[in-house]
Amino acid sequence: MSMPFRRAWALVALALASPACAASPPEHVYPGPLVQLVDRGVIAEDTAPKEDLRMIPPEVYMRTYLQLFGGLAPLDAQKRARGGDGGALFDTWDDYVSALGFPDYRLDVPRQTQTNALMAATFERLGVALCDRAIEHDLRAPKGGEAPAPKDRLIFAFDLPAGDLDARAFAPRFDVLHRTFLGYPASLAPPQRTARFFQLYLDIVADHAKADPKSRLSPREAGWAAVCYGLVRHPEFHLY
Amino acid sequence: MSLVTSRRTILQVLAASAAAAVTGLPSIDALADATARSDSEFFVFLIALGGWDVTLWADPRNELKGIIHPASTENTDTAQVKRWVDAPLDAGFKTFELVRPKGSGLVFGPGIGDLGDMTDRITVVNGLEMNTVAHPDGQVFSTTGRHPQGGRVAASSVDTILANETGREQLLPIVSVRFPSSYVGANLDRRVVPLAIDDVGSISRTLARSQAYDTNPERDRVTAMLSEEARDLAKRSTYPDVLEGLALQYEGLHRMLGSNLQDVFSGGGLRKGHPEFDYKRRFTGGAAVNAAFAVEAMKRNVVRCVSFAVGGFDTHGNNYRGHAQLQQETFGLVAELVKSLDATPHPTKNGARLSEHTHILVVSDFCRTPQINLGMGRDHYPNNSALVVSPRFRTNFVFGKSDPDQLLPQPAKKFADGERPIAPPDLLATFLSAFGVDPRKYMRDGEVVPELLRA
Repeated sequence: MSMPFRRAWALVALALASPACAASPPEHVYPGPLVQLVDRGVIAEDTAPKEDLRMIPPEVYMRTYLQLFGGLAPLDAQKRARGGDGGALFDTWDDYVSALGFPDYRLDVPRQTQTNALMAATFERLGVALCDRAIEHDLRAPKGGEAPAPKDRLIFAFDLPAGDLDARAFAPRFDVLHRTFLGYPASLAPPQRTARFFQLYLDIVADHAKADPKSRLSPREAGWAAVCYGLVRHPEFHLY
Repeated sequence: MSLVTSRRTILQVLAASAAAAVTGLPSIDALADATARSDSEFFVFLIALGGWDVTLWADPRNELKGIIHPASTENTDTAQVKRWVDAPLDAGFKTFELVRPKGSGLVFGPGIGDLGDMTDRITVVNGLEMNTVAHPDGQVFSTTGRHPQGGRVAASSVDTILANETGREQLLPIVSVRFPSSYVGANLDRRVVPLAIDDVGSISRTLARSQAYDTNPERDRVTAMLSEEARDLAKRSTYPDVLEGLALQYEGLHRMLGSNLQDVFSGGGLRKGHPEFDYKRRFTGGAAVNAAFAVEAMKRNVVRCVSFAVGGFDTHGNNYRGHAQLQQETFGLVAELVKSLDATPHPTKNGARLSEHTHILVVSDFCRTPQINLGMGRDHYPNNSALVVSPRFRTNFVFGKSDPDQLLPQPAKKFADGERPIAPPDLLATFLSAFGVDPRKYMRDGEVVPELLRA
């Protein structure tokens, strides 16, 4: 069939179809349903903000850090973290404030609103200082005294069993730390979290004595310190 | 039908080519090739914070003309300015002779200092139209090509863009020392969030780790677990970008701590390792450590962009007396940096020097008024100049101009939107295009100026 002939047939078909369309009854849009709708279930509206996670402001990080350190003032926390024992766990706050993202209005440096690798390094440096000093404070007995009771401890507010720790004994103690750092029970966290931290604990305990026999931490203390590092540097600790 | 299609295709191609020619944008293929070649390039960005007096270096004025009151012995301490040679002005005061480096058609003021001997390495842009006299606005406009919107930075800075395009895999894609680096917009990898610090020595202290309690492998194990946690949380998240970015940053931390950077990047270590820089200068002694850091980090191939600032240019009052010396020291630092790069081998290209693959851009907030104010200083003025040291730019070359009576930007060429002065977005777009980056991917404004680039 040639092109002009096919086009003519199409025009005829269109002409025939037009009156048919025009003949259909007019449509009505009703202001509401004609019959009452029946409830089939009630779902709570999810009004949570749907936006990307943000970094907590550095002031909030520092306030939380100081709170975890026993509610100390910044210079007191610095003094305790440095320790005067050659531990080299901490320098001064001045060394870390810019890497933590604090603004410096003297220099027109704005606050950082995104994490970066150097900030992650600073979180590690500060987190390690907090956890190692907390181990010393909470789990060690001072000369001529006893270790603080669990209620008086800063971070590790639980008793450690005498022997090896199994998963059942680990879970409630981990839950204490999880609530302390992340603010909610470990049972509400993604299901693999407790098992993952327990495996970390076991790995560190197994390797610590071999890796560094001169360490100031016993293998079990190193294991709990690693769990503490993992929580104080956790994404949920830094983002909201 | 095929005739129609082919004609349309031809018209589209012609239109695209014409548009590219008019706007000065290189073709996409050319950009892709150039980007692939740019992954061994390094970048240094320097901002003169406060707004510099261009009449003392790039756009020199030594006559009383129009509203212009040149620097003179009345308002400038000239004893420390090496290239200041007295020339008559009026009322017994002396201004300066123009600096005309041998073998070059370029003319400078005495603030150019030692960099005046390197005209074969530099490109000067004059008459940059700033449309602002506010410090934050000028700094952001000079480094992003966009004015801030209600106080918020509206675009990524040039260092972030180049780190994103050419440095994602580097250990430190971008180190920003008091530089107005910004990370804004789409198309950005989280690894290139600027590492913003106020002192390179703080890198060393942040990376230091006590060995008295635990070991590096133990901390690495925690970091690896956190990276897994972040990735798992990202899988459960509606918006996974931040968590995936954090996972990448944990991995970057592992590499960073494994490279023993802390020993090298201490202030003392850098001063000792790079005696070619003058750390005792009155104004730029501290910034010299940043320049030494740039050279050392590039030599070790751990960084892509280093951005830093030199402060003290905001001279509204009597402190203007030291402005020429401050410029001399700043450009002296740039000259030392270039010489140091000349003497340093490229980390990955056999037989090449770092200077052959390092590109330096020096900008400021804006320039200072041509008049001397009642406090014997100069205020803010919406004109500017910039300096480029790059093998990809035409050297011994000045582009753009300002008018002789008022020091305001004058039309530099016919752009796609008509004849007008060059502006920061044009310079930044040109800088990006030199490395194969399509400016439109990141910048709203700006047109590539091919005249600035080597053929």
